[in-house]
Amino acid sequence: MFDLAIKNILARKTRSLLCIFAVMVSVYLNGSTATMNNWMYTTMTSELARYMGKIYVQQGGSSYPPFDSSIAEATAQEILAHDDLNSVQSTPLIFVRLARAMMPFMPAQAMVIGVMQGKEPALWGRVEAASGVNAFAPDERGDVAILGDKAGSYFNARVGDNIPINNTEVRVIGILQRSSMDSVNIAAAVPLASAQRIFAKEGTVSAVLVGVQDVNNVPTIADALKRDYPLLQVVTQDDMLKDAQAVLKMPMLYMSVMSLTAFIVAFAVIMSTMVMAVFERTREIGTLRAIGAEAHTILVMVFAEIVMLTVVGGIPGAILTLPMATMMNTILPSPGQLAQIVLLAIVAGALGGLYPAWRAARVNPLEALRYE
Amino acid sequence: MTPIIETRDLWKIHPMDGTGVEALRGVNLAVEPGEFVALVGPSGSGKSTLLHLLGAMDTPTRGEVVFEGKNLAAFSDGERTQLRCRQIGFVFQTFNLLPTLTAFQNVELPLRLARVPTRERIPRARELLIQVGLGARTNHLPRQLSGGERQRVAIARALANHPKLLLADEPTGNLDSVTGKEIIALLQEVHRAGQTIMLVTHNADVAAQANRVLHVRDGVIGT
Repeated sequence: MFDLAIKNILARKTRSLLCIFAVMVSVYLNGSTATMNNWMYTTMTSELARYMGKIYVQQGGSSYPPFDSSIAEATAQEILAHDDLNSVQSTPLIFVRLARAMMPFMPAQAMVIGVMQGKEPALWGRVEAASGVNAFAPDERGDVAILGDKAGSYFNARVGDNIPINNTEVRVIGILQRSSMDSVNIAAAVPLASAQRIFAKEGTVSAVLVGVQDVNNVPTIADALKRDYPLLQVVTQDDMLKDAQAVLKMPMLYMSVMSLTAFIVAFAVIMSTMVMAVFERTREIGTLRAIGAEAHTILVMVFAEIVMLTVVGGIPGAILTLPMATMMNTILPSPGQLAQIVLLAIVAGALGGLYPAWRAARVNPLEALRYE
Repeated sequence: MTPIIETRDLWKIHPMDGTGVEALRGVNLAVEPGEFVALVGPSGSGKSTLLHLLGAMDTPTRGEVVFEGKNLAAFSDGERTQLRCRQIGFVFQTFNLLPTLTAFQNVELPLRLARVPTRERIPRARELLIQVGLGARTNHLPRQLSGGERQRVAIARALANHPKLLLADEPTGNLDSVTGKEIIALLQEVHRAGQTIMLVTHNADVAAQANRVLHVRDGVIGT
């Protein structure tokens, strides 16, 4: 009966193509939403990974990144004088957003981070320079910037170019390689003093990034800082994870609803298409029954048609998600994940095909004669 | 001799608007092996209803249809399907060929449904098409065949599993008179080869070709 199912598909080309297209779009949407969720999750986890063993101290009530935070530089220096800190990994910082992000969970499209010279590793770890340098000279006094990979594209700048930051011409001295941390990629890092001058924030900083010698001491040091500076907000990696999860909850839920909607659409399209197909073929099915086709044979025939339509539509739909994943620079869905998406489409198709198949199997052989 | 098929006090009442229309009213008949029986009568007389009951496509309101001594009332849906597949062949007025299958595939279909092995069904389907004069048209789709050719394919399909009974419902109803005569000639040829045939028609000329003519009127068989 499989050959009959294939012939039925080929005989009704427009209907079959529409059905295949609907399945393809559904699978593509599912693959894309899964990719988006993947991307959001990997971005968040890689972003948070660098806060392992680090504490942010910022103005009470401000969010992360602390664009709206302001604390006295003197207080920052007091905090940095605390025992058990890793001095290389600790620095006062200034955060200024240049352009809002297009996605709600991203900090910004581009931002300026003011960092103390010599403390750059606290910000971007071991990321090498793609061109120029990856650290400021200790005696640097001018307005210079080291750009993250995306910030380089945002400013369309190369090493040696001047970029405008808050009406000040800043010379680019380095562009970093692509980092796993997006907050580094989108940043234009400038020396702290330079950032304070450009944004008229002399005597203040946005936050203090505190690195600790021993990761196990993070809770103790965080508690001590909370006790010593009750008006400030002390944020650990765990706090950030909670905040990030809360921020991601809605977009991920939205993506899941999109995914579910795509399946419902596939289900509805397959069901309506196959109900119409069965209705159109009542006489043929009745003839088959009249000449000796059993009810389960008809059921298998209709199901085979549905499975073929979903597979033919599902595979290109799944493959189409790969360029999307490449474009988003995220982990490519594995063949297993793609197969899972296609399998889900087949399940949606099979569920959508239950009623038409059941209806086809119940066609009375007399229908072959009644339709005369 | 045991009749191929017989009916005993066969009634069929079609429910309609809260009442019932009596399509058949206590029909008794018996068809012996090798007979060519014509059921004639005006439209609405109940002849097609009788044919459907004989072909295990419908169930009686009361009474019995007995095929080779077995009461069809005791048959499950699957057993009735098997009966239609292996023991009874159907020829429809409008041919009812599957439009996506070639003439050969249409004839081969009942053999496939009966799970006849490929090595047997291919020569059988070819032989049948040659028998009905369509040896050169095996790969044509129904839409590429004339009405008469389609009915020949339908007859070949009906004969595929060597049925004990061939039922034909107005087989010339959709054909011109010349083609109709050719089809009746083909059925006579098949009958001469030993096939039991029961044919419904309202055409007296067609009925005249049968061994026995049964007149159906108002749901009963007269003489």
